[in-house]
Amino acid sequence: MTTNKTTLFDQASIKQIQQEKERWERETLKGGAGEREYLTDSGIPVKLLYTPEDIQDFDYLRDLGFSGEPPYVRGVYPNMYRGRLFTVRQIAGFGTPEDTNQRFKFLLRNGATGTSVVLDLPTIRGYDSDDPEAEGQVGACGVAIDSLEDMEALYEGIPIEKVSSNIVTHLPSTTVVLMAMFVVMAEKRGIPLEMLSGTNQNDFLMETTIGSSLEVLPPRASFRLQCDAIEYASKHLPRWNPVSYNGYNLREAGTTAVQEVAVAIANAIATCEELIRRGNKIDDFAKRLSFFWNLFNDFFEEIAKCRASRLVWHELMRDRFHAQNPRSHLMRFHVQTAGITLTKVEPYNNIARSAIQGLAAVLGGAQSLHIDSFDEAYSAPTEESALISIRTQQILQVETNVVNTVDPLAGSYYVEYLTREMAKRIRNYIAEIESRGGLVACVESGWLHREISDFAYKTQQDIESGKRPIVGLNYFPQETPPQTKVEVFRYPENAERIQKEKLARLRATRNQARVKEILAELRRKCHEDTNLIPYIKEAVKAHATLGEIEEVFREEFGLWQFPLV
Amino acid sequence: MERKIKVVMAKLGLDIHWRGAVVVSRMLRDEGMEVVYLGNQFPPQIVDAAIQEGADVIGLSTLSGNHLTLGPKVVELARERGLDVPVIMGGVIPEEDIPPLKEAGIAAVFGPETPIEAISSFIKKEVGYSTV
Repeated sequence: MTTNKTTLFDQASIKQIQQEKERWERETLKGGAGEREYLTDSGIPVKLLYTPEDIQDFDYLRDLGFSGEPPYVRGVYPNMYRGRLFTVRQIAGFGTPEDTNQRFKFLLRNGATGTSVVLDLPTIRGYDSDDPEAEGQVGACGVAIDSLEDMEALYEGIPIEKVSSNIVTHLPSTTVVLMAMFVVMAEKRGIPLEMLSGTNQNDFLMETTIGSSLEVLPPRASFRLQCDAIEYASKHLPRWNPVSYNGYNLREAGTTAVQEVAVAIANAIATCEELIRRGNKIDDFAKRLSFFWNLFNDFFEEIAKCRASRLVWHELMRDRFHAQNPRSHLMRFHVQTAGITLTKVEPYNNIARSAIQGLAAVLGGAQSLHIDSFDEAYSAPTEESALISIRTQQILQVETNVVNTVDPLAGSYYVEYLTREMAKRIRNYIAEIESRGGLVACVESGWLHREISDFAYKTQQDIESGKRPIVGLNYFPQETPPQTKVEVFRYPENAERIQKEKLARLRATRNQARVKEILAELRRKCHEDTNLIPYIKEAVKAHATLGEIEEVFREEFGLWQFPLV
Repeated sequence: MERKIKVVMAKLGLDIHWRGAVVVSRMLRDEGMEVVYLGNQFPPQIVDAAIQEGADVIGLSTLSGNHLTLGPKVVELARERGLDVPVIMGGVIPEEDIPPLKEAGIAAVFGPETPIEAISSFIKKEVGYSTV
């Protein structure tokens, strides 16, 4: 890169623009900039009009450059979507593994290019389907996975060496077990581990901050398991993303766009520090860290957020962690459109909302996309509504031509201003988290929970007072809302019975002595500074269930009460 | 004697979406009620807490599809133990599930987008006295 300055504007031009702008305001605009305060969703003041004055020290090569090169604002790959379109990755998961396998096949037949599975709540929390805590919840809101056998049924007939697999494992304590099941399944099929591509969520914030249960593992134990999974994958699964730092659910629960990115990056910082402490090198693992963003309706702010997040990540890898491999500098992310922005009233409006959010994801340079279905305020998506989501993605990919050029909004005075402003605010919020002792400490103290709950509360007040307009809800609501007939998705009712029968069969036929022995070994290793994944893999091979392995964690690490807000 | 209406609020079972329950809790506090937010709980713990706290109302929040199994269980356990207070539910609950929930003794079901005023005035009417 050249050391000469490549500023776009000289001072004389800026001065002239300033003078002309003052004249324009006086003679043409005449006070027409509006009475009220205009703000982005995260509270950044918005001017009526942006000019070069707002980005006057903008240096093209320093601040923007080219796609696939530092500072990566324009995108992580040189040719972006011409090289590879974003992955159409719609979430699926309900009932038994066999039920979800059928939905996977439906989605793939219709053009999905990767799979993404969500788990039912007992599985997420590490309870088997026959556990009393699981009653009435098996196969609801996700699929039930109890054993290696279930993992095999879930991916039956799906070429996991070709189609990438996202597993929304939520909690690290579940991740380490499900990832081990996935790996053992691949080994049994004879697939070399280096061919496996996919992602698991593996975010301790999902265990301690977002995903609440009666009690969960303490933040430090959950964080340790998160790091174990990343460390294992960095050695054995070169194409696997062992974490998807989850801004998405933070945002759903209640953060601004700035906080969403800052907290996820603070989590990545904590991980990098821990893995370096364990003796790993930054370039051994940073290239496989991935992120997950939530895109709301503030179109330009969301695009600026995507661009700014790449910039901040690159700066961090360059200046703090001194990563040498360019791939470590690439922030790759999946986007899901914002479930919480969807309304129950006039549900078809949600198709428009999701399409606009999906467009922002494409303009923001996402690697993979899930577009929410219009019926989310009613139930999990039906086959029909899931198909509309895939079709929306395909319309973006092949009908709109927005994928044909890289980062088309670059150079917009507003977008460049906003990108830099977002980056500044993200850096500041990361600094605030660090000044409070880092992310794990912010979770332990309940500070992060309070930040989230305060914002959620304020947002709801703004909706109820009408300050935040929502079409059809508080903006031109119909006197008699139309009774739109929405077909509701029904979870299969027999999932609990089928899973219980399978478990009973499994427990009766496996080698009990072997299960006992390997679980005892795992129990001991919980208290050593060692990676637990190899021991979990052995337990999975011996047909220990998810619930049995989790019980070891619960007993050895203890339980932590989510700070109530 | 006037006293504050006391609401015991819980997320039902293993459900992970707490935004609705937390926001409604805070807004009911703004309305002058005393709210005890329990976080995620199963029916027996919810009923225990309601008895200990002397709750006037039990509020349950659910999104995960467990409403038909766990919701009525709360009513059943409360009645068994002589606790006769309205049990109300909120969250993502299909319209056609509302009649069976009401038959099972759930006093009201509030979907997404219900203004807080609707929930608060329902509670005041049910409990039969207003806040201080």
